[in-house]
Amino acid sequence: MNMTSAIIALAVALVMGIATIGPALGQGTASAKAMEGIARQPEVAGELRTTLIIALAFMEALTIYGLLIAFMLLAKMG
Amino acid sequence: MEEAKVLFTIFGLEVTGHVTTMWGIMLFMFLVFVVATRKLDKVPGRFQCMVEYTVEALLNFFSGIMGREQARRYFPLLATLFLFILISNWSGLLPFAGHVEGFRPPTSTLSVTAGLAVIAFVATQIAGFREKGLGYLKSFFQPFFIMFPLNLIEELVRPLSLSLRLFGNIFGEEMVVVVLLSMAPYFAPIPMQLLGILFGFIQALVFTTLTAIYISSATADAH
Repeated sequence: MNMTSAIIALAVALVMGIATIGPALGQGTASAKAMEGIARQPEVAGELRTTLIIALAFMEALTIYGLLIAFMLLAKMG
Repeated sequence: MEEAKVLFTIFGLEVTGHVTTMWGIMLFMFLVFVVATRKLDKVPGRFQCMVEYTVEALLNFFSGIMGREQARRYFPLLATLFLFILISNWSGLLPFAGHVEGFRPPTSTLSVTAGLAVIAFVATQIAGFREKGLGYLKSFFQPFFIMFPLNLIEELVRPLSLSLRLFGNIFGEEMVVVVLLSMAPYFAPIPMQLLGILFGFIQALVFTTLTAIYISSATADAH
């Protein structure tokens, strides 16, 4: 395994690791607030749940962008 | 990401496994709706009831976002987007998907998701121009004149993020299943595929909800 492949492998691992930090924190905060809202007002649980799912999908997309870059780098390895 | 295998060409356009699966899904949806609306009864039978329930649930969902009258107007586009994306996301879970040469989920290629995002983008612009005329261009200069570059960039990034989000989710799930299959066949991919059912539905919902929000914000303040 030459130097280029080694660096690319390192980059792939770093991309995936760092890409999950921010969205995970954001999703945790959003879910916590949603649960507080449901606990305070159980009758709007349905609307809160839908909004929460959509917000989670937004944040998930940011990690997915990182995953795409990781795949593209992986294809160039070796 | 390896290139998809070209099966044959029509008039110089390459046809890959994704395109043939898309034709299959189109045929399936067409048949379902033709059979459901063949003999419309006042008291619906089971199949017609199921389809009516789907249509009504989607209409209520979009009315919650853009109001009843606008939801009715853009319902064909939004409901078709949702149902097509949903079925093609779930088609990756069927047996033989990805292994037989002509059968790959259409949304697992950037070409199809970019096409859908372009449709959503063009629909937003058309809706904005139809409601507000040339005042739609003026809305890019709201609230301050210097906001124009930011508004423009935001408008152009929307199809990019729509297509990449959908593509990344479906392609990523497929790739993870492939890797898990190489480790422990028959059992290891099962949790991933269960997640795939959930995420396929969520991604279809998010794509359509975002398109509805973009359309309703492009036609806002018109009446």
